[in-house]
Amino acid sequence: MRGSGKYLPIVPVLAAYALLLLYGLAAPGKWQLVAQLAFYCALGQAFNLFMGMTGYVDFGYVAFLGVGTYGMAVTISSLSDGGLGLGIILIGFLAAAVFSTILAMAVGAVALRLRGAYFAIATIGVNEGFRYLIEGARIWNGADGIIFSRHLKTALGRKMAMTVSTFWADIFVFGVAVLAAVLTLYYLRNKVGYALLALREDEDAAKVMGIDVTRYKIIAFITSAALAGLLGASGWALKLTYVYPPDVFEIHYTVEAIIIVLLGGAGTLMGPIAGGLIYGVSKYFLAITLPGFQLLIFAPIIIAIIVIFPEGLVGILKGKVHGTSLEKFVI
Amino acid sequence: MKRKVLFLSVFLLAAAGMVLPALPCHASDGEILIGHPACLSGSYAKAGEQAVGGIQAILDWVNNTRGGIAVEGRKASLVYKYYDCESKKESVTSLLERLITSDKVHFTFAPYSSGLTLAGAPIAEKYGMIYMDHGGASDKIFQQGFEYVVQTIGPGSLYHAGTLEMVKAIDPSAKKVALAYADDEFARSVMKGAEERAAELGFEIVFNRTYPAKVTDLTPLLSDLKASNPDVIIGGGHFEDGQLLNRQLADLGIQPKLLSLIAAATLPAFGEALGDLAEGVMGPSHWEYGVTFSEKGAKKLGKMWIGPNQEEFVALFKKAVGKDMIPDYHAAEAGAAVLALVLAVEKADSLDPDDVREALGDLEFMSFYGGWNIDETGKQVGHSMVDVQWQKGQRVIVWPVAAQTGKPLYPKPDFK
Repeated sequence: MRGSGKYLPIVPVLAAYALLLLYGLAAPGKWQLVAQLAFYCALGQAFNLFMGMTGYVDFGYVAFLGVGTYGMAVTISSLSDGGLGLGIILIGFLAAAVFSTILAMAVGAVALRLRGAYFAIATIGVNEGFRYLIEGARIWNGADGIIFSRHLKTALGRKMAMTVSTFWADIFVFGVAVLAAVLTLYYLRNKVGYALLALREDEDAAKVMGIDVTRYKIIAFITSAALAGLLGASGWALKLTYVYPPDVFEIHYTVEAIIIVLLGGAGTLMGPIAGGLIYGVSKYFLAITLPGFQLLIFAPIIIAIIVIFPEGLVGILKGKVHGTSLEKFVI
Repeated sequence: MKRKVLFLSVFLLAAAGMVLPALPCHASDGEILIGHPACLSGSYAKAGEQAVGGIQAILDWVNNTRGGIAVEGRKASLVYKYYDCESKKESVTSLLERLITSDKVHFTFAPYSSGLTLAGAPIAEKYGMIYMDHGGASDKIFQQGFEYVVQTIGPGSLYHAGTLEMVKAIDPSAKKVALAYADDEFARSVMKGAEERAAELGFEIVFNRTYPAKVTDLTPLLSDLKASNPDVIIGGGHFEDGQLLNRQLADLGIQPKLLSLIAAATLPAFGEALGDLAEGVMGPSHWEYGVTFSEKGAKKLGKMWIGPNQEEFVALFKKAVGKDMIPDYHAAEAGAAVLALVLAVEKADSLDPDDVREALGDLEFMSFYGGWNIDETGKQVGHSMVDVQWQKGQRVIVWPVAAQTGKPLYPKPDFK
């Protein structure tokens, strides 16, 4: 895997996102559906960066989306009179990345010393704990949350604020998805990735070989968390213009991320896209055709797919193209 | 091979299931379409089921009893199109857009809760679509500059307006009010309103504290509260903590003249759980089965009346949900929102959202749900809450006098 072919697997990924984006732009009235699908893909892609490479399942993942959402919300609600124009969004994204990185360092410093199931258990509490900290200590307005639609309108003007919420926020979600994919591939093709794959297969052996496993774990963990922060800032804050603690620190989204990654194939580059699309499209159409009963059908289908295809769809595809000319496009 | 066949059949089944019935439904001439990303599963499933039932019940009344809506020289009937948003914000936006663009609905309804109502608002505003808020009580929704959001549920800040007026009317000597409530957005906005109202009416707030929403012991907080010796205690947030608050007040022998608990005390399960301890406990509600708003009463007040009476509404609701279930306020407010639309469309004689929005702004009427009138931001100001009190194991509506089914028990009997 040396030379020019090293980054070829990014081609199908970019093509998939471009197609999805074009479909959203061309098909009338499908933009929000496409935005929802992009959100799921981005969620999976960002989650997969850590879980796929290390095999560690972070049950507190949604907390990073939550603080990212707050990063944007706090920025807009406090700086809306500053005459910053669109610059306010940039500052919001920065704040989101910084907030989620700080939380990731705090969580990682403790939890990443643990392994496997112990890591998963330790992270379950992070999300709930952080939510209660915000509510109890009245941080960022506490349980009242932040509703900043008015502030966004003050900062950008009514029309622009509306376009940001209903269009640009979704474009940013696409951006996060692509960024996550590019970083995943970059890590996979460099020292970080090799070290993490060694760690995933056998952490003790990797340590004995002289790999500083904790360091690489932290790098991947923080990258994944910062991406989640950016996703929260775009897909939740800018798009919905409000944040309530129980709405963003909702463990359900972590579970969705796990399902998406497992459906598509953990540790693969295309997996989160396949998983996100299957998950999002089925959810959407079942909600339309069988309102109120969709979960009864959806749950067994998901369980069946995961039990029958434990490697995920892309995992199977990988096996199929092995030894063919397509091999270098799929990882 | 077996796997392939299995996978293929699952895939085909799913694909067929998705494509076939998902064809958009368009309004034929003479139909007015209402679209709703309803909460039929997830955290708000119970309120969502009620809301859908309430809307269907009123639709039934409008189409079959009233004979439709007169607009642009013809009679149109209402058609209701809803999807399940699973109480999730992502689904609200995509389903709402689908309703507007593929199904081409004429009016939209917001999902339940303030948060989800806010989630859909930018989409409704983008398409210039009327967005009937039937379950988002936060006052802040109406401080954001939205132009098409119209509220039917009363804003959180007015929950205890009636309760405090009642105390003032019956017992002018009662001055000291204590507030003890759950730390969440809903309870906070309600208590902020109560605080302001109490100040206006000349009460003194002697205690004002929150507790975590999932609290398991309120003794320390209540011991402090006891020291302030209040006449009136207002509090709660949800069913569990309301019940705990009531029980521990009794344990500590705190005997206020009035105890009002939001969300908890209006539920039938509250009386069942607490038995004698619930006696005399009150709670504010947007609407309760048993209220006595009537066409006659509306006439007396000089207000326009529309809609079924309460018994008719309950019967239509039961028919709509297909089970023997009594509608609660979620159903009533969603139904009343449909009635507001009906009147506004006829008044505007148009289906154009801007015309109808203007007509809604000028509209004032009464129905089985009570009064309806919005201010210029779309916030509901014409609907007053009713106060329910537990008396001998029954829920009695004690305030306002126009809706009374029994006299208030004041001061409330001491906890035994």
